[in-house]
Amino acid sequence: MGIGPRTRGTPQTVIQENVVITHEDVDRAHDRVRVSAARAQRGFFSRFRLLWLLVGPGILVMLGENDGPSMLSYAATGARFGIGFFIPFVVLTFCMALVVQEMTMRLGSATHRGHAELIFVRFGPFWGWFSMIDLGIGNFLTLITEFIAIRAGLGFFGVPPWAAVVSALVFLCLAVITHRYWTWERTLLAIAVFNLVFVPVAVLTHPNWHSVGRALITWRPLPGGLSQDTLIIVLADIGATVTPWMLFFQQSATVDKGLTRKDIHLGRIDTVVGAALAAIAAVATILATAPLFAHHMTAENFQAAEFAQALQPLIGRFGAALFALGIVEAGMVASVTISISSAYAFGEVAGRPHSLNLPMAEGRAFYSVLFLCAAAAGAIVLIPGLPLVYVVLLVNVVAVLAMPPALVFLFMLANDREVMGDLVSPRWANILATGVVIFLTLAGLLFGISVIAPNIFAFLGGK
Amino acid sequence: MPSKDQSHSSITSADQELVLSSLEPEQLAGLKKHFIPRRHLRGLEKFVLWSLRIYLLFMMVVVTYQVWASLH
Repeated sequence: MGIGPRTRGTPQTVIQENVVITHEDVDRAHDRVRVSAARAQRGFFSRFRLLWLLVGPGILVMLGENDGPSMLSYAATGARFGIGFFIPFVVLTFCMALVVQEMTMRLGSATHRGHAELIFVRFGPFWGWFSMIDLGIGNFLTLITEFIAIRAGLGFFGVPPWAAVVSALVFLCLAVITHRYWTWERTLLAIAVFNLVFVPVAVLTHPNWHSVGRALITWRPLPGGLSQDTLIIVLADIGATVTPWMLFFQQSATVDKGLTRKDIHLGRIDTVVGAALAAIAAVATILATAPLFAHHMTAENFQAAEFAQALQPLIGRFGAALFALGIVEAGMVASVTISISSAYAFGEVAGRPHSLNLPMAEGRAFYSVLFLCAAAAGAIVLIPGLPLVYVVLLVNVVAVLAMPPALVFLFMLANDREVMGDLVSPRWANILATGVVIFLTLAGLLFGISVIAPNIFAFLGGK
Repeated sequence: MPSKDQSHSSITSADQELVLSSLEPEQLAGLKKHFIPRRHLRGLEKFVLWSLRIYLLFMMVVVTYQVWASLH
């Protein structure tokens, strides 16, 4: 492979004819020294320390995807359909996410290149720009919904919308202010675990565990059967779990963290743990709002934080406040991860420095994209009369539709022996990934048919 | 873990040694522009990519119609 000199980024020190060392490299090297030290030691605690040092991108991407619109989709699911089909369905979607995200972690560890960069260099700018347009539009729409969630959640506590948006932007600044990947990752992990706050909220609703167990086994009931409304929720729940930004984020974060081929096994554990935690939080959210279905409360009228208000008579002020805080946390964490996903992709495509280890002086373009995307999305949310829940569900639907093209690029890269060497996807992973692509495409087509011919399901069902 | 002040100072020879001993060559930010050859897409691959592109455009029209229908 030919090697060219780096043309941007200061200060930097030339150590060979064509190679320069940057502060980004130094910070990453310090992290890798600790990993090497932990790997060199034997014993349970050393193994655990190694795992602790290497987890991050997988948990963050999964809990990050349990974002504002996702939690509101799960809340709408519980309120409209109760305990039944959607409990195992959501678990299935996280299994799909696991299959897909493992590939991005493997790609990042093997190539040390971000997803956007690999698409551009391997498939050329024509397909690369298609991919970037999908990502850019999808990320921006999703960012808007994160601010909707933050606004709605803080609205429960009487915080005015403008203050909610400003506080989210301040949080975003604080999250990256250390200019150090490790500090950012650990801080965000600590906050992201708060996503599990939906578990105590679910417990407060005293769910019927027998019904939960039965639903997990039988995938029933599905109140109302298959209809356009059901399909929208199906697509929204898929979009709440697998979206294009996740592919770009985890691969870039894996590269930024400095994972190598030796770390792939623990990278898989990181992704599995993330998927498990996120699935628990998602199911808990459905369980938390299921009493609204049981009490025949119509979910269509709820506007985001109204789920918390509607739950208050059932679980008390404390439980409702926890629910609202969970929505705020989901929006805050995802607004950071999605903004960073956009900034990584921009840096990779534009050839600008792109790392959370970059000092401000070296990463002005990277940090500018990050903040400007978030600020623009936050401003849109302040437009009066925006149909919040409808926008949220729609964004998740769009995410599902954009996923199959993104997955095909991922699939091709993960099977590209020239790039991956002996780390190409095994046959079982390819079968699963193909199944995910077909499933998502069919779900999208079914939705399209239901829009064009709304009575088709009633006709097929003999109603 | 180095502080930001330390990070902003010039890179020392100890830093260079640390980087070269602990990072794989391709992990260096300065080497990320190395040449990865363009892949030639086969007929079936082009067909799948174009099919999915058309699918996405068609579905976006469907979603736009759905939004329009909901608003009216």
